[in-house]
Amino acid sequence: MGLFDKLAGWLGLKKEVNVLCLGLDNSGKTTIINQLKPTNAQAQDIVPTIGFSIEKFKTSSLSFTVFDMSGQGRYRNLWEHYYKEGQAIIFVIDSADKLRMVVAKEELDTLLNHPDIKHRRIPILFFANKMDVRDALSSVKVSQLLCLENIKDKPWHICATNALKGEGLQEGVDWLQDQIKTMRT
Amino acid sequence: MSESGSDGGKWLDAHYDPVASLYTFSSCVDLADLSGDGESRLVVGDLGSGSSGMKLKVFRGTALMSESTLLDLPAGLVAFFMDLHEPRIPAVAVASGPCIYVYKNLRPYFKFTLPSLEVNTLEQDVWQQVREGQIDPPTLKEMLESIRMKADVPLSVRSLRFLSLDTSDMGEYVQLHKQQPIRRQTVITCIGTLKKSTADEDGVSCLVIGTECSDVYILDPEAFIVLYKMSLPAAPTLMDVTGQYDVEFRITVACRNGNIYILRRESDKPKYCIELASHPVGLVRVGKIVVVGCADESLQGFTQKGKKLWRIVLPAPIITMAAMDLPTRGFQAVLVGLANCEVQLYREKNLLSTIKTPDVVTSICFGRYGREDGTLIMTTKGGGLMVKILKRTAVFDDRDSSAGPPLAQSVRLNVPKKTKLYVDQTLRERENGLAMHRAFQMDLSRLRLAAAKAYVKALESSLTPMSSSLTEPLKMNAVVQGLGPSFKLTLNVQNTAACRPVMNLAVSFLYDENLYRMRNPYMRIPLLVPGLIYPIETFVECTSDRGISDIIKVFILTKGRSSPLLTAHINMPVSEGLTLN
Ligand SMILES: Nc1nc2c(ncn2[C@@H]2O[C@H](COP(=O)(O)OP(=O)(O)O)[C@@H](O)[C@H]2O)c(=O)[nH]1
Ligand SMILES: [Mg+2]
Repeated sequence: MGLFDKLAGWLGLKKEVNVLCLGLDNSGKTTIINQLKPTNAQAQDIVPTIGFSIEKFKTSSLSFTVFDMSGQGRYRNLWEHYYKEGQAIIFVIDSADKLRMVVAKEELDTLLNHPDIKHRRIPILFFANKMDVRDALSSVKVSQLLCLENIKDKPWHICATNALKGEGLQEGVDWLQDQIKTMRT
Repeated sequence: MSESGSDGGKWLDAHYDPVASLYTFSSCVDLADLSGDGESRLVVGDLGSGSSGMKLKVFRGTALMSESTLLDLPAGLVAFFMDLHEPRIPAVAVASGPCIYVYKNLRPYFKFTLPSLEVNTLEQDVWQQVREGQIDPPTLKEMLESIRMKADVPLSVRSLRFLSLDTSDMGEYVQLHKQQPIRRQTVITCIGTLKKSTADEDGVSCLVIGTECSDVYILDPEAFIVLYKMSLPAAPTLMDVTGQYDVEFRITVACRNGNIYILRRESDKPKYCIELASHPVGLVRVGKIVVVGCADESLQGFTQKGKKLWRIVLPAPIITMAAMDLPTRGFQAVLVGLANCEVQLYREKNLLSTIKTPDVVTSICFGRYGREDGTLIMTTKGGGLMVKILKRTAVFDDRDSSAGPPLAQSVRLNVPKKTKLYVDQTLRERENGLAMHRAFQMDLSRLRLAAAKAYVKALESSLTPMSSSLTEPLKMNAVVQGLGPSFKLTLNVQNTAACRPVMNLAVSFLYDENLYRMRNPYMRIPLLVPGLIYPIETFVECTSDRGISDIIKVFILTKGRSSPLLTAHINMPVSEGLTLN
C-alpha cells in the first residue's frame, strides 16, 4: 500500500483532499509523487519533466495535482488555475542546488502572495529533497535561505528527504495528516 | 540574497564570491553542458595573476568542479561540438600562443598548431653561416639588424630575441639555438565557432581563428585542417561569426587599425569596412545589428553592410561587452560592463536596466547555467565571481532614452463627434455671417457710448471715488460697521501721488437729518503722506425706527474750491436695533 492510502485508511476519509505538489524542475516532485502513489501504480523509470506538466492521480481518499514550475514561466497562468482547488501544498526543494535556492525562494514568495493562496490557512509541507547528495544543504539551512520563519499565517513543516529511497517522506506525510485532520474538525 | 534597487528587481542574486581568484575576459568564458546531463557548466580560461597560474577551470553551480594547468596565457576559449558522437558532449578549445588545445571530457585531446610562416631567406643564410662558424655574434647582430631594417618578411622570434640580448649573453644564446631550424610563427588573437552545415544547437562547428599576422582561418573540426584562409589589412582583436560554413557565413572582425571588416563566404578579402573614429573595445552582434563599443565611451550600431544606425554616449569607459540572448522569450540585448562598476543593458540604443556591482566587471557571459536559462555570469577585476538569475517575471520596457518628439505627441486626443446642434449652428453662422457681424458691431458701439456717457457724468459731478485732479490724486473707500441704530463709518483715504503730500483737505457729509444724526458732519483731514491709507472714522446714529435707510453722501473738499474732489455715496444698511432714546 502507498503511504497516502494508509493515511486515508486511518482517517476514514470519504471526501478527497486536493494536494498541490510544487517546486522547481528537477527538485524531485515526480519521484516523490511516485513514492506516494498506490504501490501498483508506481512507475519504475522517471524521466525529468521538461516545460510544463500536470499529473493527476487519486488514492482512495486523496486527489493529487502535481505541477512542475520550470522554464521561464511561460505556463505560469495555466498552473495558477489550480491554486483555488488546492487544500494542502507540498513544496519540493533540491537541497543540492545551491545556485537556484534564490529561484525556489522567488517561486515560493510568488506562490504565497497569490490571491488564491494568500489569505487561506492551508498547510504547507516542505521537502528538502536529495539530502543524500554530498554537499547538500541541511533542512535548517534550506528553511533559513527560504525565510520560512516569515510564514506566520499558515501551518508549515520542513523535513529532509531522499526521494529515491523514500526516506523522510513518512514524517512529512504524518504531519500533513494531522493538519488535514484538524482542518476537518 | 537581496534584490538590488537599481536594476528594478529584475535579477536574483544567486551567488557572489569576491575571492574566487578568477582573472579573465569575456573571450575566455563559455557555458556548456560538458557532462551531457542537462546541466550547463561554466568553463573559464583563467589568466591567473602575473605570468603564472594560468588554468582551465570548470564550475558547477557555486562550486569549482575541476581545474587543469594551461601552458600559456589563453587568448580565447570556446565550447563546440567537434563530432557527431553520442552522447552529445561538447569539446572545449583554448587558444593560446600559436596553438589550440582541445579538451574532451575535460581531458587534453588534441593540439593544433598554426602553420608556420615563411622565413626570410637572408636571415636563413646568416644563421647557416653561423652554424658553419663563419661569423661571430657581433657580426650576426650587425647583419640581422640590417635585414630587419629593409626586409619585407619580418625576422623570426629567435632573431628578435637575439637582438634584444646583452653582448655578454649572445655567445651562449647562439650556441644553444644555432642547430635548430628557424621557424616563424604567429599567435592567435581571437577565436570563434561557425556551424558546419546545420544551424542545430548541437550541430558540428568549425573553429574560426584570427591571428597576429592579420589572417583569419577556418578549421575543420574533425581533421583539424585549414578549410579556408582570409586576409585582413590589420590584426583582428574581436570577432563575431554567424551562418554555416557550407551555406553562407559572415565573419565580423574588429581590427587593431580601428576598423571593422565584414568577411563573406564568397571572398577571401573583406567585403565591407566600417571606419571608426575611435578604437573598438567591444563587438557584439544582435540579430542583424553589429553593436560596437568604442574607446571614446560610445556604443554604436551598424547594419551588416556597415551602415551606421545610431550612436550613444555612455557614462564611463567600456571594459567588456557580451550579448544577452534569451530565445525562450525572444529577447536580445547587449550587456556592457563599464569602468564605474555598472553593467548596463541596451536594446538597440535604449538603456533597459543598470546593474550596480561591487567591483569593476571584466568578463560577462549570459546563457544557460545549471538548469537556469537566464543566468548572468560576471567576473570582476579583483577576481570575484558573480552569478545572477533573471527573474521569471522580469520584463524590460523600452524606454526611448534618445531625444525626439515626446511620447504625448503621438497620443490621439479624444475629440468628441460633431453633434446635429453643432452642425446646425455652423450652417446658420455661415449663412448669416454678415448680419451677425453687423448686429455685434452695433451693440458694441452702443455699449461704448453708454460707458462714455456714464464716465462723463461721473467726471462732471465728481462722483468717482477716484480724484481726477492732477494736483490732488486721491482714492477713497468707505466701510460701514454695526447693526444700528449706531453705525461706525470709516473712510479710507489714500494719496496716490508718487511723492507729493496733499494738504488742506476736509470731509463733509450730506444726509437726511430726519433719519440720521452725525457727531461731526464736517472734519479736517490731516496732511496725507503719499501711499499711506488714512482711516477717518465717525459715528452715525439712525434716529428713525421705521426700518428705512437712506444714502449718505461723502465729499472730500479742498480749500478754495467749490466743487468737491471726490464724492462717494454710501448706501446705509437698515437699522436692526431700536433707538435708545
Ligand atoms: N540523489 C537524489 N536524486 C534524486 C532525489 N530525488 C529525485 N532525484 C533525481 O532527481 C532527478 C529529477 O527528479 P524528478 O522527480 O524528475 O524531478 P521533477 O522535475 O521535480 O519532477 C531525477 O534524476 C531523480 O532521480 C533524491 O532524493 N536524491
Ligand atoms: Mg517531474
